[in-house]
Amino acid sequence: MQAQPQLDHAIEAIRVRFGSQALTRAAELPPPPAWRSGTPLDQLTGIGGLPHGRLSLLVGNGTCGKLTLALSLLAGATHEFAHPVVIDVSYGFDPQSLLPFQPASGPLTVVRPPVVDAAGEAASALARAGAGFILLMGEVPEPWLGPLESGASRSGTVVVGVVDAPSRAFAHASSLSLAFARAGWIWEREQLIGMRTIARCSKNRVAPPVGESELEIFYPPPGCARGRARVRVRAEVAVGERAWSAVV
Amino acid sequence: MVCCGLTPHLELARRPDLYGTPVVVGRWDDHVIAASDEAVAMGVAPGMPLRQAEHLCPLATFLMPDPEASVRLRELIAAALYDLAPVVEVRQEGVAWLDLDGVTSIQQAIREARRRLRAAAHTEPRLGLAGGPFTSRLAAARARPGRLLRVEDPRSFLDPLPSRELAFDADQMERLDLLGLRTLGAVAAIGPRELESQLGREGRRAVLLARGLEPDRLEPWRPPMFTSSHRQFEPPVEDREALLFVARALCGDLAEELGLRGAGAKEVRVRLHLEDAEEELRDSVVRHPLGSAAELFGLVGSWIKEWQPASPITEMWVELPVLEASGRRQLRLWAGGDGTSEEVVAALERLQERFGEGAVTQVKVG
Repeated sequence: MQAQPQLDHAIEAIRVRFGSQALTRAAELPPPPAWRSGTPLDQLTGIGGLPHGRLSLLVGNGTCGKLTLALSLLAGATHEFAHPVVIDVSYGFDPQSLLPFQPASGPLTVVRPPVVDAAGEAASALARAGAGFILLMGEVPEPWLGPLESGASRSGTVVVGVVDAPSRAFAHASSLSLAFARAGWIWEREQLIGMRTIARCSKNRVAPPVGESELEIFYPPPGCARGRARVRVRAEVAVGERAWSAVV
Repeated sequence: MVCCGLTPHLELARRPDLYGTPVVVGRWDDHVIAASDEAVAMGVAPGMPLRQAEHLCPLATFLMPDPEASVRLRELIAAALYDLAPVVEVRQEGVAWLDLDGVTSIQQAIREARRRLRAAAHTEPRLGLAGGPFTSRLAAARARPGRLLRVEDPRSFLDPLPSRELAFDADQMERLDLLGLRTLGAVAAIGPRELESQLGREGRRAVLLARGLEPDRLEPWRPPMFTSSHRQFEPPVEDREALLFVARALCGDLAEELGLRGAGAKEVRVRLHLEDAEEELRDSVVRHPLGSAAELFGLVGSWIKEWQPASPITEMWVELPVLEASGRRQLRLWAGGDGTSEEVVAALERLQERFGEGAVTQVKVG
């Protein structure tokens, strides 16, 4: 608490020395427009949705729910955007896994680049062309991060990356990083029906960071008919002293 | 609607430092090509012998024409206006027309045209807006610098204007005078067949012009169909990273030029001049025009990464031998976002061209 006056004094000194625009509080910057995905992640970004024209990362080691949330976002994007694209860098995307999230019927474009460099070219070209939503299943090489950022910024593309642990360059290029950590499994009648995960906003360039949330991710019931599967993501989020829950 | 922007003759516009002084452009033993307003006020007129011009305005600055420089300036102006309207025509006399039919925001296009003309000619252009090139040019000539004169009713605007605005030669003007047709209103009142019998086809055209029927069409400017960029290496280079660095810079230069022209490359060629061996080249035709530095470098860089030149490289050329109007260029004319879908599809097809059909798949979900 004692550091606050010193910090204010330092900020004032920088503004006097270099001008009022030299240093701006994040809260004073106009946030980028948000895409309301309808998932609990919207509450973690601080702007009510994922930022248009920016790279958002879902990170976490092992089974922690990041892919489930990414698929949920992708399913929502199929309803919202004409051209949602999956760039499957790791060749790990299974279109069937999207079905429980009830995507819009229609074709989904999947790019499987033969070399990792091609992933960067594909991502930046599609962002520049104005694809509404790009799901990056892996990293793109560092030289392509600049074109990707500028292309997305110009067209307003929502870019979401899913990685275990991002490289320094990839993390630096992102405007929003949500870190996931599995907190435990959910059992019912000795059956594994889901998991609890902690989602924490570890980096936020678009708004002041907003706490962390505990999410409950329920797997689709076994034997569920294809196309009727429902996945419910229950979230208990603590923001300051408030708590809320959401169902997707 | 056609918007006309008037700037000084491009032979004069290449010397903005002489604005405000009498200037005459022409070869010594030939006729006057262009004269500034100050020289015109002294009686100088384009087409008269230069000796006569010197006699009329001895204090004028006399310049030799530089056709290459004025053509370059014309190309620059045309390229700058190219993405504002579907049809653009620019003439050496300092006249630029934009056919604004189909343009979503006409006011915005005119504002931008004025800004770009001012930047190119270093003076405020006069602007006219009317149904065709003839009327819009006359309107622009009567507008104040930097202002737009809009013609709602061409007949009432044209009728009182003198018939010399029809730009006939001296003989035809004399005949018009003898016929008593001293205003455009008088020319318009006579039947086209009658004047055609007196002056030939030009007579018929004159009547249509005077009636505001605009028989002439603009000749659309097309961007040049070839461009290239190159870099020499001294001493010769073998390092692949250095080549990639230079290739990226060349692609950036070319992309900037393509963006200015509103064009895309339909074919890409890279030539390497070698120190002790024959030149080597790679060439590819692409399905969708490439317009950005990333797209160009994606192709050029992939070649260079696997290229094994026979000897050190003395010079690298990146050539775009076939250019065409980029899809992006026309899409800018539409309401926001309408063109995105086509651009995404084009980008996906380009990726298929580069990395094979299997690189992009459409999966049916839901």
